[in-house]
Amino acid sequence: VATTVEHRAPEARSAEEERLLALRKRETRQRWFWRIAGYVFFLAAWEMLSRIIGPNLLPGPVRIAQTIPELIASGRFFSSFAATLTRIGIGFGLAFLVGIVIGILTQSRWWHGFFRDSVTTSLVSPSLIWALTGLVIWGFEPQGWIFAIVMTTFAVVTINVAEGIRALPRDLIDMSRAFGVTNWRRQREIVFPFLAPFVFTALRFGFSVGWKVTVLTEVFSSNEGIGFEMRVAQQLFRMDEFFAWAISFFIFALFLEKVVLQRSERRFFRWRQEVAS
Amino acid sequence: MATAVATASRAQRGLPRILRSPTTARILFPFVVLGIWYFIYYTLDSRIFPSPQQVAVFMWEEITLTSGVRYSSVAENLYVQFGITLMRLTIGFFIALIVGTIIGLAMGVSKKVDAFFHDWVMGLLAMPALVYALFLGLALGFTNVGPIIAVVLAGAPFVIINIREGVRNTPKELIDMARSFEVPQNKVTRHVLLPSLMPFFFAAIRYAYAVGWKGLVITEVFASDRGMGWTIKFWYDAHRAHGVIGYALFFIIFALALEKLVFDPLADRAFKWRPKMDAVQMAEGDFGGVQREGFLFIEDQEIEEGADTTVAKGGNF
Repeated sequence: VATTVEHRAPEARSAEEERLLALRKRETRQRWFWRIAGYVFFLAAWEMLSRIIGPNLLPGPVRIAQTIPELIASGRFFSSFAATLTRIGIGFGLAFLVGIVIGILTQSRWWHGFFRDSVTTSLVSPSLIWALTGLVIWGFEPQGWIFAIVMTTFAVVTINVAEGIRALPRDLIDMSRAFGVTNWRRQREIVFPFLAPFVFTALRFGFSVGWKVTVLTEVFSSNEGIGFEMRVAQQLFRMDEFFAWAISFFIFALFLEKVVLQRSERRFFRWRQEVAS
Repeated sequence: MATAVATASRAQRGLPRILRSPTTARILFPFVVLGIWYFIYYTLDSRIFPSPQQVAVFMWEEITLTSGVRYSSVAENLYVQFGITLMRLTIGFFIALIVGTIIGLAMGVSKKVDAFFHDWVMGLLAMPALVYALFLGLALGFTNVGPIIAVVLAGAPFVIINIREGVRNTPKELIDMARSFEVPQNKVTRHVLLPSLMPFFFAAIRYAYAVGWKGLVITEVFASDRGMGWTIKFWYDAHRAHGVIGYALFFIIFALALEKLVFDPLADRAFKWRPKMDAVQMAEGDFGGVQREGFLFIEDQEIEEGADTTVAKGGNF
């Protein structure tokens, strides 16, 4: 008897499951169809627009795709990427550190009060003013663009870390206080591990702001890098090169942001139920 | 915990207690910044780096129109420049709001439309303003059209995403219940649909305005001969650091005033009907600023939606 029951139950469920599965499959297929339709439509519209207003001013996607290998062949492609990535590494790296330190300090109400206006100011002001201020003071020296990147980006990191601080497990903190655990040990063993996923999110959001302001600083104060190349191409009216630079770096940055960082975030924190979603 | 803190702070009296209050820290902050400024002023070997007094004098003269600087024949002073930018921002903002609401509603209602637009909206959302600023400058010259298009391009994606989330978050069970009790459609719209859409719509407005402005000033640098962005570039090109810093401060004052005088009161009014939630957030001493509303609303979806909506949080130029 036992075997027949066991035998029948899964079969009955699998029929229902199969129906659901087929439904979901159809939905996925439909979604992909419309997604591809979207790509076809927008790329075609772009190509059409380019034909209408002239391919020299607005090159179509085909021409831009052809320009990228040309840029690679010219040898400037990878060196420009390297220059911009170095800038991002230094500037955003520093901004990230500053942002985390301020975020962790906000556990204390005093430091929270101290930094809150700076965070608000940084969030509401456009990157342009920090870029121009830094550059007019320090010129082409690295302090100029580092200042611009830090001032624009640190607040994004801070608010994400502060988000984590707000969600800290109060009971653990209270208990450690009650048992007289030192502040440093409390930070190291409760706060830092708890903050790890928030720091990762901060890294992702910070990066999305950081690379844009980095490119902007390169427009004003650099003789290499993506921003510089974009500016030069625009001034020489080589719009195909301009779009090739802009789009290739744009796709690269999106790839880093959406695929690399997001994937690794999910992998690192798979063990934490409240984070893995 | 709360009581422990309360007794502890009550135990301290007089000066130490005042020194330890967060308000003191908040007041202290500008002075520390000023101190750092003076420090740089006295240590940096630079002929153009201004002292705080120089910048203050410059700003005062700009405000009172006694500096004697005439930028161009059309937009000769600070107020006209800011007015031009505000006008462009407002026009672009309304276009972004209309276009964004239509596309956002369609994406929220239909999965097909969502699949059609999704990747392109996300792409536009992540696109730096610099790219279209440089292009618009060449394509359209120094007119009002370029900057207005820049505002639309920067703001519309935020409207779309927030409206889409709003539609997806409408309380299905309330609508079902209204149907079964035969509540007329216009009443359902007014009492269920609109109130649930409201916070998302508000977040959309706030984001679109802030991000549109940031995109606009960059565009004005490359694609305009007037406006706020152009004016700060004017001082940069003239290599006058006091002008650049003075205008940077004007920008900050403008942005903060917009937050505190327009959006915060509007938020209070728009959410009067809602119980505590926002009040709690504010009482905790949340970092104010543009992000707050979006934070609140986009975060809920982050958990179920994963990747794409979260971009809005960090989206910035």
